[in-house]
Amino acid sequence: MGDGDFRREALAHLDALYNFAVYLTRKPLEAEDLVQETYARAFRFSHRFQPGTHLRAWLFQILRNTFLTFYRIREREAPVAEDGVPDWDTPMFHDAPDEDSGAMDAHTDLERAMCQLPAEFRMVLLLAEVEGLPLEEVARVMACPVGTVKSRIFRAKERLRSLLRDYETR
Amino acid sequence: MTDRLSDLPDEALGRRLAGELPQHQAPARLRHAVLAAGRAPAGIRPWLSAALASAGTALVLSLFYIPMLPRIVPADPVHRLVRSVVAEHTRTLMWGSRQPDVTPAALTWLTQESGIGLVRVFAGDDRLTFVNAEPVYLEQRRGIAFHYRDDGGHLLSYVVLPAPGLPLPERQRVQVGRYKPALVSESGFSAWVWKQGDLACFLVADMVSESDLAHFRDYFVRLRPAMEPVPAY
Repeated sequence: MGDGDFRREALAHLDALYNFAVYLTRKPLEAEDLVQETYARAFRFSHRFQPGTHLRAWLFQILRNTFLTFYRIREREAPVAEDGVPDWDTPMFHDAPDEDSGAMDAHTDLERAMCQLPAEFRMVLLLAEVEGLPLEEVARVMACPVGTVKSRIFRAKERLRSLLRDYETR
Repeated sequence: MTDRLSDLPDEALGRRLAGELPQHQAPARLRHAVLAAGRAPAGIRPWLSAALASAGTALVLSLFYIPMLPRIVPADPVHRLVRSVVAEHTRTLMWGSRQPDVTPAALTWLTQESGIGLVRVFAGDDRLTFVNAEPVYLEQRRGIAFHYRDDGGHLLSYVVLPAPGLPLPERQRVQVGRYKPALVSESGFSAWVWKQGDLACFLVADMVSESDLAHFRDYFVRLRPAMEPVPAY
């Protein structure tokens, strides 16, 4: 695949990447930076992409890694747990805090609950349910086994229900 | 059937997420920025930085280990000494003597510095002009060097070093009158090498052609009987 073809194909996923980035950062401006950095890295390392594999998943993987790098630098926190059961002491598995100014507006309970989910749970739900990636691809993006992905999806939905229940009873 | 999201089973909750979660479209400025980044000229090729890094590491390692490598020196002690004497001769050719004002009148000082006394000294003749004399330190030996210039402009260096037990290379020895010095070639220079007691004597010049060697032989004949070095201490 030539450079031009690669760039054209990669740009076709811009909206999906931006949407993923908005839900990860919860700030549209930060999401723009994140997507731009993702594309910069993708273009720089395009030779590492194996033609025939899922470009969309590869781009999501870069975006996730970039987000984690920025997140860790910003938060000065330890890496996320990679084992099957989420480590509740790991910040990436904490509920997201209330956001300050510049944060995206949540119009529905579903959106609000989604934004409240821990980042790792938000990621698996967005990739598997919203983007419709197969579990194997989600596992590749998340750099964990498929079993871990399934477990995280299950726990993410449990947590989502719990948050929605809170909103409904208010 | 309930409409409450919190009561939905996993599959239905997933479908609601896919259908109802607002999708955020990338703003036009982001698209332009990404397009512009994509059009930017490619930076350094990825393999090039790795190659340069490897080459740099190899160079640093080489520089680090070079001083530890054994020096290639001739095993033959005569050749080793000849090489040092030629190097000293070359230095004199390039830079002149360190003590250009030393004359035979300063022989006492030279003897003190070099540990070599001279019973007789060749002060030059109609073919060879004395230039200067100086103490030298070659191959961890203190010695003495006399420099002459012939009428063809060739510089000749006569060097004496203490070398007890130094064997002369038999195959290179040449009969010159009643003497039998060795004629050694080194780096484009010719050298007569002979022994006088425990001292090794060298006469070096950049005279390698057949006609030059005839002159060089003549210079040896003039200088050899006129010089008589002895260990001073």
